[in-house]
Amino acid sequence: MSGAMNLLIGLAMGFSLVALASSRLPSVIRAAAFQGMILGVLPLLLEAKFHWLVVAVAIGTITVKGFVIPSLLRRALRAANIDREVEPLLGFVPSLLLGAAATVGAAALATVLPLRPEHARSLLVPGAFATVVCGFILLIARTKAISQVCGYLMLENGIYLFGLLLINSTPLLVEAGILLDLTVAVFVIGIIVDRIQREFDTLDTRKLNSLRE
Amino acid sequence: MTPGGLLGIAGIGLTAGILGAFKAPRLWLAATLTGAAAAFAAAVWALATGPVWDWQPGFVIGGEALHLRLDGLSAFFLLLLSVLGGAGTLYAAEYWADRDHPVSAPSARAWWNGLLLSMGGVLLCANGLHFLIGWEIFTVCAYFLITTERQRPAARAAGWLYLAASHVAMVCLFAFFALLAARTGGWELGPMGDRPGLAPLFWLALVGFGLKAGLFPLHIWLPSAHANAPSHVSAILSGMAIKLGIYGLVRFTGWLPVPDSAGWVVALLGVVSAVLGVAFALGQHDLKRLLAYHSVENIGIILIGLGFAMIAAAQGQAAWGRLALAGALLHIWNHGLFKALLFLGAGSVVHATGTREMSRLGGLWRALPWTASLFALAATAIAGLPPLNGFVSEWLVYLGLFDAVSAHGTAAYAAIPAAVALGLTGALALACFVKVCGVVFLGLPRTPISRHVHECGWRMRLPMLGLGAACVAIGLAPVLFWPALVSAADAWQPGWVDDASSTPLATLGSFHLALAGLVILAAVLLWRRVKQNGIRRAGTWDCGYAAPAPRMQYTAGSFAGIITGWFDWILRPVRHAHLPKDNFPARADFAEHTPETVLERVIEPAGSLVQRLSLAVRRLQDGRVQAYILYLLLGLAALAILAVMGGPR
Repeated sequence: MSGAMNLLIGLAMGFSLVALASSRLPSVIRAAAFQGMILGVLPLLLEAKFHWLVVAVAIGTITVKGFVIPSLLRRALRAANIDREVEPLLGFVPSLLLGAAATVGAAALATVLPLRPEHARSLLVPGAFATVVCGFILLIARTKAISQVCGYLMLENGIYLFGLLLINSTPLLVEAGILLDLTVAVFVIGIIVDRIQREFDTLDTRKLNSLRE
Repeated sequence: MTPGGLLGIAGIGLTAGILGAFKAPRLWLAATLTGAAAAFAAAVWALATGPVWDWQPGFVIGGEALHLRLDGLSAFFLLLLSVLGGAGTLYAAEYWADRDHPVSAPSARAWWNGLLLSMGGVLLCANGLHFLIGWEIFTVCAYFLITTERQRPAARAAGWLYLAASHVAMVCLFAFFALLAARTGGWELGPMGDRPGLAPLFWLALVGFGLKAGLFPLHIWLPSAHANAPSHVSAILSGMAIKLGIYGLVRFTGWLPVPDSAGWVVALLGVVSAVLGVAFALGQHDLKRLLAYHSVENIGIILIGLGFAMIAAAQGQAAWGRLALAGALLHIWNHGLFKALLFLGAGSVVHATGTREMSRLGGLWRALPWTASLFALAATAIAGLPPLNGFVSEWLVYLGLFDAVSAHGTAAYAAIPAAVALGLTGALALACFVKVCGVVFLGLPRTPISRHVHECGWRMRLPMLGLGAACVAIGLAPVLFWPALVSAADAWQPGWVDDASSTPLATLGSFHLALAGLVILAAVLLWRRVKQNGIRRAGTWDCGYAAPAPRMQYTAGSFAGIITGWFDWILRPVRHAHLPKDNFPARADFAEHTPETVLERVIEPAGSLVQRLSLAVRRLQDGRVQAYILYLLLGLAALAILAVMGGPR
């Protein structure tokens, strides 16, 4: 069981790096979507006994993160008529290297933390840290609003991974709540993307600083 | 009539004055004078009869029930306020008349009444919240009065500086009253000497009230505000407004417990303010700015007395403490009287000549005999010369210091240097006023502006005469004023000062009477000899120079040059000199200017440093979402590192 889980988490971490390295926005969206779907499967593996609530949440997560949000983002992409992150604040290779360094750092950090023995060998904690930091890097290094939404998605995925540690004590409804917030946030950002596009004729969030006092 | 009724009349009169200020200047004058007279009567009643007037009508203002109280200390200050307010009102009617200042005169009258009302309110409030409200209104009214001539940039700058300094003081007072209310559980003020936990609050009060009082390092707002305000405003600012800072200190050192070192600190600040205040005064060339620095000096003398009284109270040494306290209290009155008279006199000079620059004046005694004589009288008083009132209060402080020395306590070691500093201050003040009177009133006019001047009218002369008479009265018959001092001191430290301890004043009073008699006798004899022998006029000895001109007289700067040289280390004068060289020198010139050293060398650099740092920090807010997220991440990383470094416990 643990082996399969570690494999999936490793895959999710890989997708973070893919998202960091890719310059095309559709592939960033795809990477985030795949990552979300993989994480959606995890509770099924963790939970020893079958429970309808866990199944429902897993299906909900996979649907929202794998299909609903990506399709919303693709629609925004089409509406804005863009395809590439042209001028990132931090280049793709440096972002990738930073992401890799963050992953290594996360693994190192996990060995320092006072974890419970059943979590010590799992990739859950380093995976969670690595995903959160990669999400942050995506948020900081990219200028297009769409990439930023993907960054937020990855950030949320990391938090979700961390939440899985507590799956026995915390109901998954918490996760459901986070997911709902996120969906609303994506909607809001979708609207903002539209507005930015109309106002500035670009999705470059750096232009927003003309709004400061 | 009870003091409540009298104070009611005062309040109604001053409020009616505000209403009449714009359309009916005569109504304003009558109503304000009536109000001042009623306040005077109430204060005299409270000082003479003794019982505390306490009034709780049940109105609620700002969530707190109104509570007014007139005890000895409030009445002591209220008396000074009513005298100076009345004098200033009458003076302003001519000095700042509608004819000369059609735009600013009505609003200046309204703000003037607001100032008097709010200062009276501060004196009467027995509730911390209402004290703060009154204090803030008083601050704002004074701001608008300082900027009466707001078309001049200097007046605007002075007002701005005053407002900024006042609000620093206000922050301290807010903290003081709020902490006091939090620790006592209510805003009601009153004696609470039995709660030693309140002692540290004294430091907040010292900064807050000290800024208002203008003690030395905190005096930065004072010179420019006093110099740029109209003269009747300068008089009330210097005579009364800064005394409210002293009122706060006296009030709350009397009511609250103080830290052990408080008295020493106050005395030290007093010594520093006294000596450096007069040193800065010597360096000034602007008549009113010079007078303003003498306010710093006199606040210092008051604080020396108060500080030693606090030391004595802490050590239980009533014998000499009460002398220092009585000296400090009496000096509050005296300084209010002679400083107001000096500012009104300076106002008369400015009114006649249009300039405050001493190097442009000269020879005004013939043209302004009333102003000049009264100014000289006040100058004698402020220099602490017998037989006038300045000497009476300084004498009491001296006696307190000498008795402290002979009491052989720890205070003796501080009392000797303090007495020396007080003596030095008196000598320097004398030098300074010799300079002022000599440069402004004696000699020959230096510029054409001081040749065609006219004496002020009776409405400006009468208040000055009144203040001068008060100075002489306190000087010649100080014993008459002892009951007022007892009444005020009783509110500070009950039972400390009694009627029996007035013997030093009685002795001094008879000495002063004898001295005054001798002076008058000498004057009469001199007058008779002059009458018998006749007067022969001749040129002043001109050092052998063939063609003397008025410009060759001593200037304000050259007269004080030697003394200001001693204080170069703190005055830091700016000199521009092209000295004459060779046997046939070309053009030469020399200019000297004493800057506001504390303001320009300490406060302004500190302010610009803060501004630079703030601008640098402001660059962090560049409007990019990415940057903000980076800050978030860095913050999180710092927290993580902190957590890991802290390690698991």
